This record gives sequence, C-alpha cells and structure tokens, in this order.
Amino acid sequence: MAVRPPPSAAKGSRSNPKARKSATAGPSTLKSKVSKRPSSKQVKTKPGVHSQTLKASSGAKPSKRRQKTYTDKELKLPALNMITPVGVEKPRGKKKGKVFVDDKEGMMTILALVNAEKEGQIESKMIKARQLEEIREARRMEMEKKKEKKQAELDQVKKDLKKGKKRYDAPRENGPEVDKQKADGRKNGKPKKRVSFA
Amino acid sequence: MRALTDVETQTLFSKLANYTGRSLTQLIAPSDSTGDDDDRHVFRLHESRVYYVRLSIANLATSIARDHLLSLGTCVGKFTKTGKFRLHITALDVIAPHARYKLWIKPNGEMPFLYGGNVVKAHVGRWSEDCPEHSGVVILAMDDTPLGFGVTARSTAEARKLEPTSVVAFRQADVGEYLREEDTLFTT
Repeated sequence: MAVRPPPSAAKGSRSNPKARKSATAGPSTLKSKVSKRPSSKQVKTKPGVHSQTLKASSGAKPSKRRQKTYTDKELKLPALNMITPVGVEKPRGKKKGKVFVDDKEGMMTILALVNAEKEGQIESKMIKARQLEEIREARRMEMEKKKEKKQAELDQVKKDLKKGKKRYDAPRENGPEVDKQKADGRKNGKPKKRVSFA
Repeated sequence: MRALTDVETQTLFSKLANYTGRSLTQLIAPSDSTGDDDDRHVFRLHESRVYYVRLSIANLATSIARDHLLSLGTCVGKFTKTGKFRLHITALDVIAPHARYKLWIKPNGEMPFLYGGNVVKAHVGRWSEDCPEHSGVVILAMDDTPLGFGVTARSTAEARKLEPTSVVAFRQADVGEYLREEDTLFTT
C-alpha cells in the first residue's frame, strides 16, 4: 500500500527510512512525515481512514476515540444454533474457581442432607428386608403344611400295609370274586389240568 | 492443603455416614467445645488425602510449603481420580465412637480378621440387631477394642439361619494393615 515518492524525493528521505511509509501507515508519525513529504501525485487511501488523513493534513491531533464495537445482541443478530459446552460460558459476578465449605454451618447443612438421605436408604432397606422375610416365612409355612400332609398320607398307607394285605384289598369291589375264580380254575370255566399220583 | 469443596464434603460425609449414625455431627461441632473457633476440628485436603485436624494446627500448617508437608492430623482417606472417596484404616478412630452398627468377634476370630480375612459366623460373638445387609459395620473385639470395619454380607435375621462357616461381614479395613501395608499406607 505504500506510495513511492518520486525519485527526486527518494534521495533525501533515504536517511530516514520511516519516511517511506505512507500517510495512512500510522497516526503517530503522521505530522512529521506529512510536512516532509513532497507533493504526491496520488494517495491511495482506505475508505474508513479518509477523514483521518484529512485531519492530519490540516494539523489537528488524531482522535483517540476508538470505534465502537457492537455485540451480537446490540445488532440483533440471530444466535448461532450451537451447543456451548459446560464450563466455557463464564458466569459474571461469580467467584472464580472452587467454592470451599469451611464454616460450621455449611458443613452441618451438608451433613444433615447426607444423614437424611442415608436414613431414608436404610429405612427402605429395612422395610424391603422385612417384606422379603414375611414372604419367605409364608412360603416356608406353606411348604411345611404340604410336607405334613404328604407325611400323613404316607403314614396312613404304611399303617394299612402293616395291618395286612386283606384289609388293604378290601375296598376293591370285585376282589373276592376274582379270588374265587382263581381258586376254581380258569376264567373260561375249563377245569385246570392236574397230574396226580394214585 | 485446602478446605474441601461442597461436592467433596458431600462425598466424604456420605461415606462416613455409612458407618456412623446421627452422632457424626459431633465430629464437626463437639458438644463439649468451649465455643472457641480454633478448638474445632476441620477436614483438610492435601494431595488427594483428607485429614481431620484441629483448626489451630491446620492454620499453623499453612507456613509449611506444600511439597514439604507430608501429613497432619488424622488421615481419614483419599479421593480417587474418579472423585470417589476411600476410607483408610486410620479413620477407624474417628468413626468407631459413632458407629451405627457394630459386630463383636470372639478371641478365636481376631487373628483371622487381622490377617485380612472376612468375618465368618462362627467367630461372631455379638452383633447389632436389625442390621440390614450391605451396610457399613464397625468390627470390635469382645473387649470393645475397634479392630476394623467392613460391610455386612447378610442382614441379622438372615445371618441367624446361616451355617457357621459362611461369611457374615466383608472386611474393608483392619488394624493389621498398619503392619501389612506399612510401606504404602502413608506414601502419596
């Protein structure tokens, strides 16, 4: 962007290399440079700094007022659809870093919270255990009853067996008849063949 | 060395509350204290270990450079890299007087326990009634000397029906560690 001075002026300005810079390079050296600079044919300027160069050429101090920067909110720009990770966004007016608990009250509050939570857990555990125990007890009772019943039945059968087969068979309706038939011979009426010695 | 943050305090207290009852408040605010602020005990974190120390001593310790300070007060345990808290055997003196559930072991069960074994039913002399399973328990000798702590394997009601060789409490720490873990117990 620097504008080269004409060859006649170049010799004189060689001792001061800064003089080669254009008027737009910086406001601090403007005054001296402008006074030394011979009439230039063409000065290229940025559109924004045009007024500044004018002021400088007129001999006034460059204004220190900085250009106002606008935030996104002020310009009413739509926010980008992106995720701000936790910890990146810094809350203002808050303490930086860790928050320590060193006072008695703060610790007591945390302890009360923890204690309440723990007691609740233990209580629920106890209730659960009690319920389970009840269920287990009920199941045990049922099993015992079943076992007793089975045992009683078995005992009855044993008792019957001890008293004899006769009585055991007694409840049969056609039992004696069959016995009779067997005693007589075959079922179809034919007498059983016998071999006897005279 | 610094005070604990609120999250750390909560983690620490919930771990301690596993073993102690409501009287844990006595640790922070002893009822027999004269109200002198320097006399109260505080928890301090130093190189991921938590120490239970008197405030006046903790304040004095600030004059020692961090890398020169090895330990102060009673070490309660350490924070793991994942933010959990591990109780050390050194915390036994802190939790034993405030224990919620206790389990006394007979003299014949002391040595197996102190060598790092779990507590079997045959070695149990007495136990607290109404103790649910998987709850923290302080293990004592028959003469009320605290020997360590652990978690119950079964509730008291269930444990009654068990055979003598079955485990009733899992060991977490025992005073035998002072000898067994001598090399690593106090190193960082």
